[in-house]
Amino acid sequence: MKKITELVLKNSKLTLFLILIGTAASIYSIVSNFALETNLDTYMPKDHPAFVYSDKAEEIFDIRDAIMIAIENKDGIYNTATFQKIKDLTKEIQQLDVVEDKDDVLSLYTADNIKGSEEGLEIKAFYKRVPKSKDQFDEIENGVVSNEMVYKRIVSEDGTSTLIFTKIKEDSFTEELYYEILAIAGKYEGDGDKIYVAGQPIVEGTMAILMPSDMKKMFPVVLLLIVVVLFIVLRSLKATIISMIVVIFSSIWTFGLMLGVGIPVYAPSSLIPVMLIAIGVADTIHLFSHLQLMIQKHPNWSKEQLITNMTTEMFMPVMMTSVTTSVGFLSLLTSDILPIKYFAAFTAFGVMMAMFFSLVLIPAAITVLGLPSAPKKKEGEEDDFFAKHAKGFANGIVKQRKLVIGATLLVIIFFGIGMSKVWINSSFLERFPDDDPLVTTDAFVNANFLGTTTINVILEADQVDKFKNPEALELIDKVALEVQNNNAIVGGGLSVVDFIKRMNKVLHEDREEYYSVPNDQDLIAQYFLLYEMSGGSDRLWDVVSDDFKTANLQFQLKGDNSIGLNGAIESIEKYRNQFKDIGIELNFAGSGYKVLVFNDLILVGQVKSLAYSFLIVIVLLSLMFRSFKLGLIGTIPIFITTIISFGVLGWLNIPLETTTALISSIAIGIGIDYAVHFIDRYKINALASQNIEETVGETMAHSGRAISFNAVVVILGFLILTFSAFKPNIAMGAIVSLNMLTSFIATVTLMFMILYTSKYFFKNKSKNK
Amino acid sequence: MKTLVLSTTIALLLLSGTYLQAQTAKEIAYKVYNRKAPKNGESDMTMTLINKKGNKRVRNLHQFFIDLGSIEKQIMFFTAPADVKNTSFMNWTYDEADKEDDQWLYLPALMKVKRISSSSKDNDFMGSDFTYEDMEKRSPERDNQILIGSENLNGESHWVIEATPKEEGQYAKRKVWVSKSKSIPSKIEFYDEGNELLKVLTITETQLIKGYWVVVKQEMKNVQKNHKTVISLMNIKVESGITEEKFTQREMERGL
Repeated sequence: MKKITELVLKNSKLTLFLILIGTAASIYSIVSNFALETNLDTYMPKDHPAFVYSDKAEEIFDIRDAIMIAIENKDGIYNTATFQKIKDLTKEIQQLDVVEDKDDVLSLYTADNIKGSEEGLEIKAFYKRVPKSKDQFDEIENGVVSNEMVYKRIVSEDGTSTLIFTKIKEDSFTEELYYEILAIAGKYEGDGDKIYVAGQPIVEGTMAILMPSDMKKMFPVVLLLIVVVLFIVLRSLKATIISMIVVIFSSIWTFGLMLGVGIPVYAPSSLIPVMLIAIGVADTIHLFSHLQLMIQKHPNWSKEQLITNMTTEMFMPVMMTSVTTSVGFLSLLTSDILPIKYFAAFTAFGVMMAMFFSLVLIPAAITVLGLPSAPKKKEGEEDDFFAKHAKGFANGIVKQRKLVIGATLLVIIFFGIGMSKVWINSSFLERFPDDDPLVTTDAFVNANFLGTTTINVILEADQVDKFKNPEALELIDKVALEVQNNNAIVGGGLSVVDFIKRMNKVLHEDREEYYSVPNDQDLIAQYFLLYEMSGGSDRLWDVVSDDFKTANLQFQLKGDNSIGLNGAIESIEKYRNQFKDIGIELNFAGSGYKVLVFNDLILVGQVKSLAYSFLIVIVLLSLMFRSFKLGLIGTIPIFITTIISFGVLGWLNIPLETTTALISSIAIGIGIDYAVHFIDRYKINALASQNIEETVGETMAHSGRAISFNAVVVILGFLILTFSAFKPNIAMGAIVSLNMLTSFIATVTLMFMILYTSKYFFKNKSKNK
Repeated sequence: MKTLVLSTTIALLLLSGTYLQAQTAKEIAYKVYNRKAPKNGESDMTMTLINKKGNKRVRNLHQFFIDLGSIEKQIMFFTAPADVKNTSFMNWTYDEADKEDDQWLYLPALMKVKRISSSSKDNDFMGSDFTYEDMEKRSPERDNQILIGSENLNGESHWVIEATPKEEGQYAKRKVWVSKSKSIPSKIEFYDEGNELLKVLTITETQLIKGYWVVVKQEMKNVQKNHKTVISLMNIKVESGITEEKFTQREMERGL
């Protein structure tokens, strides 16, 4: 390191110049290659069986999430003006480029009204020309209320609102489309009619747009705060600016490389700067803090001496922390999900860049710009705050050993219980603020209709025409009813059975007792033929394949909360064996289900990788300190931080979702930094003095100072995120801050105490007191 | 709807006629429209629906038709698949332009004849890629025709005519290839409202039976949905002496 530093010092301007060139190239790469990947489908592992199956089923049944537009009129929708609006709005939406087929827009205007006529079956629209007379409206209203396939699904129970479902082309949602639809909808407001726009494509699409844009708004504030706090603790403008340059450059180089090799920015990658700030600032603070202490201690040293001392003494800990942190992140490469792998690889790269800039850019910059100012000792004050209180604090900890251990145990138990309460939520909607128009609209639709989220249960039989068989149809009917009755969240279901029951009833003079599956396979087959011959729409093929071998039982759920989804899936699972007994396989499909599986994959991957990181970190630290025991001691802060981090989520009832889960990796990055710096400094002091009291005081004053600076800077910087509009960003701010705090406390209390008690590095193991 | 399928064959001749030279498009269309057609007949019929994955659904029927001048009647009995066997369908089409077809379906499992409410002409026939309108004769007066030219198709010389409806209908236009020697269309392209190709009808086999050109096999492909329907006829008898008494609800119930 000495040689490198000498080289850097001799060629400091060249070094800075090269770094600037690299940065400029990276910026160029970012600007010319920038691409944000917001399409959720590209995040899913394509070859995972659940996704392969779902994609196949989605194609068979044309399963796509629908945008839902609700028209509400408090006096009831059965009037000429509102019906005109339903018709006009339907037609206008049908004209949109993203609508492939007119049949993809389902409203009271386009829905099939399957009803009986005097001599037969009639499948017609509820209206073509907008009715004028009350009699006509009464007739339509009676038709709606007595039609099980329309009532509550398309028209609300109280008759004051109606829905227009629009299936748009795959991957066609854009922000512009959302505003276009809002603008179209807006035109029809007024005269007592209110319009709501909801649905999963909008929630997903808006989230993909909102999350980075919220981050873009908040991030400069985070940076600004960090600059301010950094300046306050380091009391040097130069050191502050150089630190920020190190952190920002490492982010720029990372994104430059990532975009340069053609990888777009996926959502997890937007967390990379967050990671690099928290971790990179640790490097620079430790270096500058060391430098300032040396300036105080050796006022007569030359600039070169000071710099060389800084890099040589700090090389080991900075290198060790960076390597272990990087390897910790690399454990995420075991994830099934590509964007997570990119996140892991490039965060690891960024951490190494932060190390490189700390050890090369800082010396070069100081050489060119001059030494940063060090806090001056005031008259009558011997040491700075840390030097003064370090020993007292250290002794306090040592004396209160039992208290520390007891407190730790309590913390572990308390937060351990909290950990067991952690739940996973893949809900997109619940990430928005409660008063967001999307949330209130969704709530409106859920309150008045069957629900905004769909689960598709795909039933695959061993032979064709199975879904004309009364036994199979009866079972579907039973499952549909029971799942709906046993799950408050399930608003209703739709399956091929609804078509059969409806036809059976209307062909028997609308008698309620015929609202059932007829016990005659031929009759069922003939009903379907009648349906096809009577001009029934292709919507039948959304629930059954044309060979009647595969069926799609759809459930509409009021909300996309994981607990509700899992509850519904569990109660459907109960019928798996009953279906199997009659030769039918049960599977799930659709976006709601895929998101659930996807989030499980992320979380399981995350937990797995946390476990791997622990092992890797223990091994690396043991190798670096050449002691397994020290390796174990070094993981104490990570261990405690992780438990508290998840424990808090559990106790505060904050669900784990992708961001919250990923951000918890920061516990490792930060925990390692603190532990390594502390142990390394402790080791240097111990080997130099062989006096445990002195070692303790020196270490607290040196590492303790840097660690607390680091903690204060990052905590204050990230706390601002808790003012964000976006729930995952709030959680991120809170988790980063909390992890910094607990890592800090765990390092200087428990880990320090165990280190002290173990008497490591002291050949004479008897007490020096 | 006109007497289905067998007359479809003729119906498909809708727009064209052949003169060897110097004919106007309208004349060609009339030539097809006014072609000599059998007054009655029967045949077996197979309708195969093929979806985009290549899965087939096959329906076998036996059909009778009669042309009574102002009314054309048709009756069809399903012979397969087994679950709809003996189901029968009857259709009466009237010459009066605004009079809707009458249609009935007999469901043996219900032992009842059900009336099918007069379907809109642009509804699919039996879930196939043919609409009711596709199977009917269309008066050349309802379209404006342009003769685009002459083209060889399967070694036969064809007129190519473009027909645009005078009143807005289910298609924006049709492009018809009319065989110069037989006065039957060999191919029709149907364009949707956006003027994009929607469906292609291909006549794959014709036979000269008792002096009538009869389309024996034809395929309608919906290129937008990638779905197609093949209709083929077997055991064709024309002018076989079928009488009006065959076309009643009682006969539907009696079966073949």
